[in-house]
Amino acid sequence: VNRAADRPTTLALLRIWVQIGLQSFGGGASTQLLIRREFVDRRAWLSADQFGMLWNLCLFTPGINLVALTVLIGRQLGGIRGIAASLAGLLLPSAAVTCLLAAAYKAVQHSAAVHAALQGVIPATAGIMAMVAVAFTQPLARRAHAEGTRAVVLSAAVALGSAAALIVAGLPVALVLGMAAILGAGAFTAWRRPAAEYP
Amino acid sequence: VINPLVYFALFLKASLFSTGGLSNLPSLHQDLIGLGWAADRDFGEAVAIGQISPGPNGLWVVSLGYLTYGYAGAALALLAVLVPPLLVLAVAAAFARIARHRWVDGLMRGISLAVVGVMGSVCWTILRQPGADWKGLLFAGGAFALAASRRVSPIGILALAALIGLAVYRR
Repeated sequence: VNRAADRPTTLALLRIWVQIGLQSFGGGASTQLLIRREFVDRRAWLSADQFGMLWNLCLFTPGINLVALTVLIGRQLGGIRGIAASLAGLLLPSAAVTCLLAAAYKAVQHSAAVHAALQGVIPATAGIMAMVAVAFTQPLARRAHAEGTRAVVLSAAVALGSAAALIVAGLPVALVLGMAAILGAGAFTAWRRPAAEYP
Repeated sequence: VINPLVYFALFLKASLFSTGGLSNLPSLHQDLIGLGWAADRDFGEAVAIGQISPGPNGLWVVSLGYLTYGYAGAALALLAVLVPPLLVLAVAAAFARIARHRWVDGLMRGISLAVVGVMGSVCWTILRQPGADWKGLLFAGGAFALAASRRVSPIGILALAALIGLAVYRR
């Protein structure tokens, strides 16, 4: 539930997304981390739960998931104009920097120094991605902990099982998400509770 | 000679039938190489640039556009990856219609847990890339600790990793 009084103006939203677009070197992991820091941690316009929910919807959308997330956050905070400002802010500067890097890369691609630096940078992006994964885990872990041992074991099994299905069995991501969805609906739904609140 | 309309349509098709990241690569690879509009080398370079440049990894196609067709190619590629994610509005509307069913909460929870697994597998894949060694684990661990501290921005973390990488790996 976001506080309407705190809603940003379109211009403020544009400024936030431009900053994210320009600072998110390191691809998707950095972008994710910055979006969460800005909208969840710093300004509290979205809760961790809402953020996770929006991200889930993006996974069922074709194309780049982070662009879909930008669309949803933009709409929630500023309607149609919010969507336009958010997309322009995230993508125009970062695409421009990408072009510049592509041009520069041609010039330095055989440099040993560049290779050495990249050999440090690329595993560091994995570390940033791990932090993003932890941030996604926190609300899930808190909830499972409150519900008891069964929920904790089930949650851990679904998360670790998904990783294993991808790494060991090499299953497609969409299939793993679908199986986890069915498992989750089966295991976490209180099927025996009276359905009074559900018309 | 590159036909801009066909070029755009190929990028749009690849993005429409992909689910983020690099999943649009095979389609583009097949089409652009087939037409002689790109070389194999362009793909490797574009992916490498996409991994370090700002914004989503999916913007690797912008560098592919730039490398194969200059600024026009970059602009067409950007436009092509911008359109399909707008369908998320339809996904959100569809979700709103099923949201009141009691099983939806468990369904979303299952997906959220799988997302954690997917991200873990991405870390694993990056750390197991060709040329990666055990020192990569130290870089990843250090980056994780700095990110968790919330005091350092990703760009600061990566700049530090680049400097240490220079010192450790330069021959």
